[in-house]
Amino acid sequence: MNVNVNVNDYLAVASIIFCIGALGVLIRKNLITIFLSLELMFNAANLGFVAVSEYLNLISGDIFVIFIMVVAAAEAAILLGIAIAFYREKGAISMDKANELKF
Amino acid sequence: MDALFYIFSIIAIFSALMVILVKNPLTSALYVVLCFFALAGFYILLNMQFLAAMQILVYAGAIIVLIVLVIMLLNLAKAKDTIKDFHQLSVGIISVLLLFVEIILYLNTAGETKPTGIYTNAVINKIGNTQIIGQFLFTKYVFPFEVASILLLVAVIGAYIFAKK
Repeated sequence: MNVNVNVNDYLAVASIIFCIGALGVLIRKNLITIFLSLELMFNAANLGFVAVSEYLNLISGDIFVIFIMVVAAAEAAILLGIAIAFYREKGAISMDKANELKF
Repeated sequence: MDALFYIFSIIAIFSALMVILVKNPLTSALYVVLCFFALAGFYILLNMQFLAAMQILVYAGAIIVLIVLVIMLLNLAKAKDTIKDFHQLSVGIISVLLLFVEIILYLNTAGETKPTGIYTNAVINKIGNTQIIGQFLFTKYVFPFEVASILLLVAVIGAYIFAKK
């Protein structure tokens, strides 16, 4: 089906999206945007799993993607609970407000 | 098919960049949805239609809707975020550039692996990819499947404990 596009191209796209997500985690201060960048990194890893699994003619990578989706859903529930508790405590969602461990 | 790959990759990379560049978190969430649709297109090109449907239903349909709900609930759409911290920006960009170079180096120096499995595209299309995933999920991977259900239960309880007061 894919004549010229091979697994390396998929891995290149996945690594670019992963790096963009990591950049978002490092430079943004809004908790929600950091969380969205984390989701981008999850999905880049998913794309890598599916591409390699298709190249090696295996199914294990596709099963792993489903488990990653489960972990992402659990993480979303927990992190949004934390976001609501944090907002209640500080009145904002910026990570600059999370400075109580600073010495 | 190759043209579709390039279209999807341009959309995915553009929307991923917009996620971290726009100021409004609600706009970020919408660009994440766009990126997920492009990734679902990749899964269809890779002959995994079930995962594409799961991507749209679970990610774009459940997780991102949950995030948008929280953004609206906390009235965060006006919480503008500025990227002005020079040290954070410079260290972030340099470390991510290093990370990218390392990934590319790793992919280039890793030895080539020949395909070993028996599940070629023809076999998957003959059985059906949903059926094949279901067979694996309930036979070989049944223990991780049960652990995943306990993980979801723990997450629900944890979210309740965090959010109640």
